Order: sequence, then structure tokens, then C-alpha cells
Amino acid sequence: MILHAENVSKHYGAFQALNAVTLGVSAGEFVSIIGPNGAGKSTLINVLTGLARPSAGSVRFKERDIAGIGPVKLAKLGMARSFQLVQIFPDLTVMETLEAAVVARLGRGRRLLASLAGDRAVREDAEDVAALFGLDTKRHALARHLPQGDKKLLDVASAFALRPEIILLDEPTSGVSTADKTRIMEILVAAAKRIGLKAIIQVEHDMDIVFTYSDRIVALHQGSVLADATPQAVQADQRLVDMVVGRRRRHGA
Amino acid sequence: MTNVVNILMGGVFHASILFLVAAGLQVVFGVQKVFNLACGSFYALGAYFGVSAVQWYAGAGGPPALFVVPLIAAGLLIGLTGVVVERGLLSFVYERDETFQLLLTFAVVLMMEDLIRMTWGTAPVSTSGLYLVYGQARIAGAAVPVYNLVVIAASLVIALGIGWLLTRTAFGRIIRATADNREMAEALGVDMRRVYAKVFTLGTTLGTLGGALVIPATAAMSEMGVELIVEAFAVVVIGGLGSMRGALVGALIVGLLRALAISWYPALEMLIIYLIVITVLVFRPRGLFGGATA
Amino acid sequence: MTGRIVLALAAVALLAMPWVLSTYHVLLMLPFMAYGVVLLGLNLLFGYTGLVSFGHALFIGLGAYSAAFLTGWFKVRSLEVMLATAAVVAGVIAMPVAALCVRYVKIYFGMLTLAFGMVFYTFVLKFYSVTGGDEGMPVARPFLLGRDLGAMPKIEYLAGPYYYYTLAVLVIAVLLMWRIVHSPFGLCLKTIRDNPAKAETLGISVPHYRWLAFVISAVYAGVGGALMATPTGNVDPTLAYWTHSGNIVFMTLLGGFANFFGPIVGAFVFIYLQDFVMSVVPWWRLVFGAILAVLVIAAPQGLMGLFTRRRVTEVA
Repeated sequence: MILHAENVSKHYGAFQALNAVTLGVSAGEFVSIIGPNGAGKSTLINVLTGLARPSAGSVRFKERDIAGIGPVKLAKLGMARSFQLVQIFPDLTVMETLEAAVVARLGRGRRLLASLAGDRAVREDAEDVAALFGLDTKRHALARHLPQGDKKLLDVASAFALRPEIILLDEPTSGVSTADKTRIMEILVAAAKRIGLKAIIQVEHDMDIVFTYSDRIVALHQGSVLADATPQAVQADQRLVDMVVGRRRRHGA
Repeated sequence: MTNVVNILMGGVFHASILFLVAAGLQVVFGVQKVFNLACGSFYALGAYFGVSAVQWYAGAGGPPALFVVPLIAAGLLIGLTGVVVERGLLSFVYERDETFQLLLTFAVVLMMEDLIRMTWGTAPVSTSGLYLVYGQARIAGAAVPVYNLVVIAASLVIALGIGWLLTRTAFGRIIRATADNREMAEALGVDMRRVYAKVFTLGTTLGTLGGALVIPATAAMSEMGVELIVEAFAVVVIGGLGSMRGALVGALIVGLLRALAISWYPALEMLIIYLIVITVLVFRPRGLFGGATA
Repeated sequence: MTGRIVLALAAVALLAMPWVLSTYHVLLMLPFMAYGVVLLGLNLLFGYTGLVSFGHALFIGLGAYSAAFLTGWFKVRSLEVMLATAAVVAGVIAMPVAALCVRYVKIYFGMLTLAFGMVFYTFVLKFYSVTGGDEGMPVARPFLLGRDLGAMPKIEYLAGPYYYYTLAVLVIAVLLMWRIVHSPFGLCLKTIRDNPAKAETLGISVPHYRWLAFVISAVYAGVGGALMATPTGNVDPTLAYWTHSGNIVFMTLLGGFANFFGPIVGAFVFIYLQDFVMSVVPWWRLVFGAILAVLVIAAPQGLMGLFTRRRVTEVA
């Protein structure tokens, strides 16, 4: 198990956001976390990515306690994440964005007097990632000028450029058109294979996407784990489908 | 004993003036989230205009005992020029990064410095000993100009007035609501343009009033604007950005500390104040009464 | 390509100036070049990292006063030593100041830097037995590259050897900053300017990089301050006053903070325009205040922004 949250609880004042959540992710898994709004998904992601400290319980990444260690240390340990609201560097080009990730990964950030343009290792690595995500034709476009779908891809691509072992995606297909959704997921999965990503965790609302790509689904409800099973098992459990998914299915995606 | 009383009274007098200017800063920051560097410049404007008003009044033969009337009137009147700055300049940058807003107020500082010099020259001007017409009071053996006591009282009255304005009037409610959540206030139908214009003018008027009130006890000098803003800035940092209570308490702290420092070890005067500012910013950025920080 | 041609022309012009222009104008180039060095550093903080300091004049003052102390108290006359000392003093003082300030952003950063600047100003002003108070301290004419040029008339010295020395320092400063800005480090700074939260998720420690940028910019300001000291032959506390800090931010904005050469252009235009205005009326602040207002409202990308297509409407 690479990532292991054990009995994690988190409260904000009187409000209990997470209640004794146990979640383990092993190599080779694609885990989707689902649940209605307010179920605690974002809190769980923040705890898993070291942004929030659990009130109780532990979170371990590769056997290391990562409670509240913060994004910088986590990135160096090998975990990356993308955000629900797309995060880009507006005035940097696609290449610059990816190069920044590679520079950070290779620990070359303190090279004050080295020429970035002359650093072939960084440039080629960034170009590889750009190609993986279909952004190589837009390499020199400013991030702020990209269409929304490409911005999302860039956000995820920069996380991939860190060549992490595990990546957490917070609603990777939110805010994009249905056509773009599949495109993004396909690119994501292909890229994951290419860079040797060990596991993917995503928070996702679109059930079609969830059922198509996940190895495992974790359903959260009011801060607790309602179910942790394969897509088939989840679909087979009608009660579960109704409680978590039901209303949405009936009214369309 | 007399020395201590003198120091205290001097400190409280200075604090009264500081409070007025700081209150002007606070109300503008609280509502518009703009740190008005030009607040000190309006203070200077009020001072110079006050001198002119009193000199005209004395020249026109008005009874010396009533000189505060034209003084205060001048202070209030010239504060209305704030609306020119707000409508004519500031209103164009409300949607921008706060750095640009700050730089715009700095532009106003520059312009007003020269406008004042152009109008009144570079030599200090004052109302001389006119304020002594009220004589001096004996407090615990020390001689304190009655005028100073009048100013302190006036400041307190204004502080209470601001408090009443904020808590008991509709406008005050709007101010507090906008300071709390601007989008919500707008959504509830508050006309931001008018609120901003009024609030900014209120802020500048408090500044000009402070300048006018201080003038009998001192002279109007060309650097008074840029010097006072740093003190006022210390007051609002210590008291907490956006808080009226903070302006009051912060002004007292700064005013008294400065008076104490001047009498003990003059070289430390403002140094102590700035060190406190730095300490506050490092350990408790929101000051004594301020809200959440950036 | 046009950029390189312009640069080459500018270089030739700068080299030729002492032969072509009147002495008065050549002397005017001295503060311009000194400010050029200062602003190169300031823009590393402003344009590339997104932090606006309202107390940067502190480091100008530190550099200037270091030079004054060296010539006055320690009888050191070598300009190389003066510049090196100014750089070290500014850098060393910057380290703890930066450590405190970079934990904050935007207005709190501005306020904290302003406070530090005023602490130095007050300190220098009040301890007049040491620093000369508001009259300041004299700065003796430095030796250039070990040569004592005391025999030369002052104007000849300033418009000749000192001019070229300052120009050389500016060129070195430009080359160095160009490298820094186009290095992996520079890229990290830009990510912090654009989106600090995302930069962190990439593993970039935001406070640490801001700290480095701050210290580097302070060193530049110190060197610029030391360069400013010689032509006037005197340093005084107003070098560290908050309005001086405001003015250098103004200069940077004027030239355009989104462009590498913007700040230098800003320094040039500011110095010359100020000189021109003052020869007509004494009200340069009024004119410049109006210019700043127009700049902020209508042309925040500055002069260089008007010439290039890049639009930057936010600082951070």
C-alpha cells in the first residue's frame, strides 16, 4: 500500500468533516472518490495531500507520516495533485509551466546563473510531457490564452511533469464539455502508463467517467466511508446506487 | 509631577489629532480596502487652509475667542475636496490590484505636496499665539493650554459621533455591511459608487479636521503630510486595519509613547514606534482589534 | 532582432555620451545609471516575484552610508571596496529583514518594508553624532581601480573616469540580472508571482525563493546607493525616506515592470524629465504625481508595455 489513511477524522470546530475514514491505495490502482457535495471529499483530499492535519488518525505515504507536511515536501516525496478550480500560471507559456515542474523536480531551482534555455535535460523532459498531453503544438502559448480544456490538461500535465508516484486529481473533468471529458481521461490514462505512475486517485462527480476508468470506488457520505468496492460491486448494490448516485442518474448526468 | 502631567497631556493631545487622521484611514480601508497614503496630505491641507481661514477671520475683525469657528468650518469644508480625488482618480482603479491603488494614492501625495507649496509657499505658517486666548488651565500643578483640552474633548465627541454613526444610522449599517462583504452589500442593492464617494470624503474630512485642529498649537509645514502618514500608519497597524476602536487605542498608544520618548530619550522617539509596528506585524498582524489578515 | 539593434545603439550612445553631450547632461547620467542598478534589483522583486516593497530605499541608504563610513571613518578610498562593502552590508541586513517580510504578501508586505525603511531613516536621523543627522555625511572622492585621481577637477573626474566606471558597473549588473532572470531560479520566481499556491504544489518553497529574490534585490540597491554617493559627495537620511521608496517603485512602473529593460528606461525618463521640469517650474512633484496617476489608471504596463504586445494587468 502506497498511501494509507487510517481512521482519519477531521473536525472544524463543531462540524465533523471526516469520521474515522480508512482508505488504502496500492500500486496499479485507479481509485475514484465519490459522494454528494459536503460529503467530505475535499477535506479528505486535503488530508491525503498534507494540506490539512487530521484531528485523529494517521496518513502515511510510502510508510512516512505525512500529516500536515504541506505541498512542497509532499511534491518532493512523490505525490502530486491537481485542483478542482483549474490552476495555471497565467503569464507563463505551456513550456515554461512544464519546465518549472521539471526544474523543481530536478532540484535545479537554485541555479541562479545557469541558462534555462541551455538546459537540454529540462527542455526535453518538458517537451515529452507536452507531447503526452497533446499540448506540443501550443508549447509557446501563454497559459491564460488557452481554451478551458487545455488549461485543465496543462494543470494535470504540470503535476505529471513531477513524475510522481501517485497523483490526486480533484475533479479533473469538471467545467469542461462532455467531448473534452473523454479526451482528458484518455490522455491522462495514457500518460500515466507512459511515465510509470503507480496510482491515481480522483474525486469525480461524473459517474460515467467513474465507472469506466476506476478499479475501485470509495463512496463518502457525511464524512464516513459508505462503500469501498469495485465498480461492479457498487453498481450491483442498488441501495448504494440510490443513496449516493441515484438522484443524479434519474435526472441525467 | 508637573512634568508627568505635561507629558501626558501632550501625549493625549497628539493622540487626539492622530485619532482623527487614523479614523479617516480606517474607514476608507475598512470599506474600500484602500490604504490612503494621501490621508496625511489632507491633514496638511486642513492645516494650511485652517491657518488661512483664521488669518482671514482675524483680519476681518472677528473676536479672537471665536476663532475655532472658522477653523473648524475650514477643516470640514476643505475635506470635501476628497470627493474630487475619489471620483476623479480612485474610482478608476477599484477593480485593480491593491498595489496600483496604493500607488495612485501615492500619486495624490506627490500632487498635493506641490499644490500646497504652490498655494502657501514653503515657509511655515501659523496662527501664532492665538490659541492662548483661551488661557491655560492648572491640572495637578501643570499649566495646560485650554485649547488643547478643547481639542481632546472635540476628538472624544467625534469618536463617539463616529461610533453612533456606525451603529445607529442606516449609513453606518451600510458601511459595516460593505466592509464585511462587499459583494453581498452590492447584491442587496447598495450603490457602491455613492457609498465609496461618501466614505472617502468622510475619511478625508476627518483628516483635514485633524490638521485644522492641530494648527493653533503648532505651525503648518510642508513636510507635515508625508511625516504624519507614517505615524498614522503606525496607529492603524497597532490598532488593527479597519477598526475604529483600533484607531482610538492605537492613537493613544502612539501619542503617549511618543510623548514619553521625547522627554526621556529624544533620539528614540519614532524609533520605538516603528519597532513596535514591526513587532505587531510579525507577531499579530491583525493588530489589537483588526479582522483576518490577507 | 529589432531588440538587439536597439540595445546595440543604446550601448554605443552610452559610450559616446561624454564626448557628445554637454557636461551637464553627462553628469545627469550618473544618478540615472545608479538608479538603473537599483531598479534592476527592485524589479526582480516587483516584476518577477510579484512583491511590492515600500521600503527599498532602506538598502539604498545602507549602501550610501557604507560608502560614507568607509571614506570618512576608515579612510578607505577604493571604490571597489566601497561597492563590495555596500553589497555585503545591504545583503546581510536584508537577510533577517527578508526572512520576516516574505511571510506576508501584498499590503502587509508593503507595510512591513515601509516600517523597516523608516526605522533606518529615523536611526540615521537621530543619532547625529555618528551619522551627521539631517546634514548627512560627506563622501570623499574614491580611487578608481586603485588610481588616485584627486588631481583632476571634480567635473572632469565625474564626467570622465567615474562615468565609465559607473557604466561598467551598470553593464555588469545588467548581464548578471539577465542571467538570473533567465535561469531556472528566475522561472521559479515567475511561478511564484503568477500563482504561489500552485508553485508550492510543484515543490517550490515560496518563502525561500522570495527571500532569495529580496536579498539579491537588496544587494543591487546597496551597490546603487554607493554609486549615488560620490557625485553629490554627501549622503543624507532622505535617501531612506519612504517617499524615496515610493519614487523608485514609480520609476519601475513608468518604464514597465513586465519588461527586463523597463526599469532602466523608467530611471532614464524619470531623471531626465525631472531635470527638465525643474528647469521650467519647481513643481516637479505635481507633474510627476499626475504622470503616475495616468500611468496607474491608463497605462500600468509602463512605457515598455506600450511598445510590446505583452499585457500584464496584475502584479501578482
